[in-house]
Amino acid sequence: MFSMASSTLEITVISGEDIRNNRKPVKKNAFAVIRTDSQPLCRTEMDKDGGSYPYWNEKHNVEIPQHARFITVEVQCKTSAGDKTLGMARIPVSDFVGGFVPQSYLHFLSYRLRNSNGERNGIINVSVKAKVPEYAASSCSSTATTIGVPFGKTSCYGGVVPGVPVGVPIMKQYYQG
Amino acid sequence: MGNYYSDVEGGKQAVGGVQQSPTATNNNNAGHNDAVEFFYRSRGLHQRFARVELSLSAINLRDRDIISKSDPMAVVYAKNIDGKLEELGRTEVILNSLNPTWIEKVTVAFQFEIVQPLVFHVYDVDTKFHNIPLKTLKLKDQDFLGEATCVLSEVLTKQNRSLTLNLRSKIGHVGLRNLGVLTIHAEETVALRRVVEMMLHCSYLDNKDIFSKSDPFLRISRIMESGGSIPICKTEVVNNNLNPKWKPLCLSVQQFGSKDNPLIIECFDFNSSGKHSLIGKLQKSVADLEKLQEGRSGENLTITSHHGHKKVLKGELFVDQFCEKEQYSFLDYVSCGFELNFLDYVSCGFELNFMVAVDFTASNGNPQNPDSLHYIDPSGQLNSYQKAIMEVGEVIQFYDSDRRYPAWGFGGKTFDGTISHCFNLNGSAGSFEVEGVEGNMSAYASALHNVTLAGPTLFGQVIKTAAQIASQYVSYNSKKYFILLIITDGVLTDLQETKDALVKASDLPLSILIVGVRGADFGQMEVLDADKGQRLESSTDRVATRDIVQFVPM
Repeated sequence: MFSMASSTLEITVISGEDIRNNRKPVKKNAFAVIRTDSQPLCRTEMDKDGGSYPYWNEKHNVEIPQHARFITVEVQCKTSAGDKTLGMARIPVSDFVGGFVPQSYLHFLSYRLRNSNGERNGIINVSVKAKVPEYAASSCSSTATTIGVPFGKTSCYGGVVPGVPVGVPIMKQYYQG
Repeated sequence: MGNYYSDVEGGKQAVGGVQQSPTATNNNNAGHNDAVEFFYRSRGLHQRFARVELSLSAINLRDRDIISKSDPMAVVYAKNIDGKLEELGRTEVILNSLNPTWIEKVTVAFQFEIVQPLVFHVYDVDTKFHNIPLKTLKLKDQDFLGEATCVLSEVLTKQNRSLTLNLRSKIGHVGLRNLGVLTIHAEETVALRRVVEMMLHCSYLDNKDIFSKSDPFLRISRIMESGGSIPICKTEVVNNNLNPKWKPLCLSVQQFGSKDNPLIIECFDFNSSGKHSLIGKLQKSVADLEKLQEGRSGENLTITSHHGHKKVLKGELFVDQFCEKEQYSFLDYVSCGFELNFLDYVSCGFELNFMVAVDFTASNGNPQNPDSLHYIDPSGQLNSYQKAIMEVGEVIQFYDSDRRYPAWGFGGKTFDGTISHCFNLNGSAGSFEVEGVEGNMSAYASALHNVTLAGPTLFGQVIKTAAQIASQYVSYNSKKYFILLIITDGVLTDLQETKDALVKASDLPLSILIVGVRGADFGQMEVLDADKGQRLESSTDRVATRDIVQFVPM
């Protein structure tokens, strides 16, 4: 079903919550890096004004080796001494592969970030979808009539969280920019 | 297959909106009332609808009066299939305004499966009619200010549920003048039930039993206009007691009508043969009972002898507590916590599906014992579990197409001697389904005979099973949303196990309603409810995507 030795994922790095730099709130310019244990996969732009609640909402297509068991998300910020990792979370591949939902289900996932001392440092919100290649997709008939559960009307940005599809209803403060 | 769209509008278009082909169901019930609802339900027909209130306002109405401004009123009609207009309601008259915001709302039953065209007419009500009751105003005597039409679902699917339309002249009349705009705002009526809760006791009752004392219970009936009476409520039976004090009694406005309607309160001595002996009765309205409580006085029961003489008895009825309150409907429990209105799901064509899990842990008490939360009262009084199944199930049944749904028990020891945390309530090995609320009730009653209450109280297994079902339906490309009702009296033995299962299920189309009956540790449940904003965390650092739990103490 997947090509040779890797799988394609569509990952949207949505936002972060309550992320601190040495217990103080982050002022600005946080960004997220996604990687497997062995190689980097993608990184987001810096959020110039998000502070401790950065909002990126960037979709990236990445290839992960088929044997990979985790992908890692790190939230970093630029300091005078270079890029500093503020918090990290490991996303088990089993959280979006396997289970009873169809392959191309759009999973909304959130994880606790921990800093280099292992202390809690905020939450990271992402969405992940396994990309199914065309020949396999035809049997799944991803037709236009499928829809997820509608949004809360009070979600941010006037009712639509860009990039967060009509999926599962979400509480607005989780995805606020 | 799980393809999603990046904006709500696009997603809705893909579904095709709410419009479906008009069915043969007639549209005359757009002005809904309880009698109609009962009619359909008692015949097993599933009228799928939600009550919606329309608020109207207008801007820049035409000025017809010479000396002052127009005095506008709006009338809402449903347009039937044959084109005839049927009035649904009207607003009040607002004096002297070209930009009225009417207060009086018009209630409409929103039916999911049919197109409901609405027509709005705005009139200027002549001064001479200002003191006449609204309903009797003849519209043809008023000045017509404009008309607007739309379909009900158009209003409901708008972002803020407000639709603004240009008013125009009636069809056939040429008129290009600007007649102003009408704004229609729709809200689902919170299905509040007004209830009255009372605690009653009697003293000095006559003894009807030979070798022991009477076993009294009360039956309250409503007197109908035709002269007959219908029982609306019964208390539990208090054994062997001439001064019984009953558990709190709850009557809803739907049951007694108005507080001044006369009610007959009869006190019977329970006989296991079913032929209960009447000890005495009295006639009181709900308002009278309230006065009895305030005055802290009793009222004597009477009994009519064979000769027709009414004898005043020594026995007296007292009202110790009287309290009026409003109870929310189940719909509110589901929708609050997600900042979504129940209609959001339904207006996107979602079908709701129900699942139930019942607590069979030993803390409920031996079902044979009248104090047990699982006691099945022969006089018909429902226990907390039965009440929860009925109240929630009856509403959801409406929206569930085939009325068959999964029902489980947890924490009980089944026939093979092992304790199960998710066993089929119907006792079957293969299927977990029960048919309708009645099927659920009978499966529950027979499970009480076949299952031994045990423990500990764990929800994880039930939640995992429900999540599995919800995920499977996602792949069938169906728009199903699942609501799991867990009824429990308990303290969770493993809170983290439950949190882990909830976090894993948090991005599925599933909501969990936990109803806590007497004794439940509400502190724990409130943690799971996460209404204070603390997202649940699993033991592996995953955080819940959303709050899927709502906790309601019974």
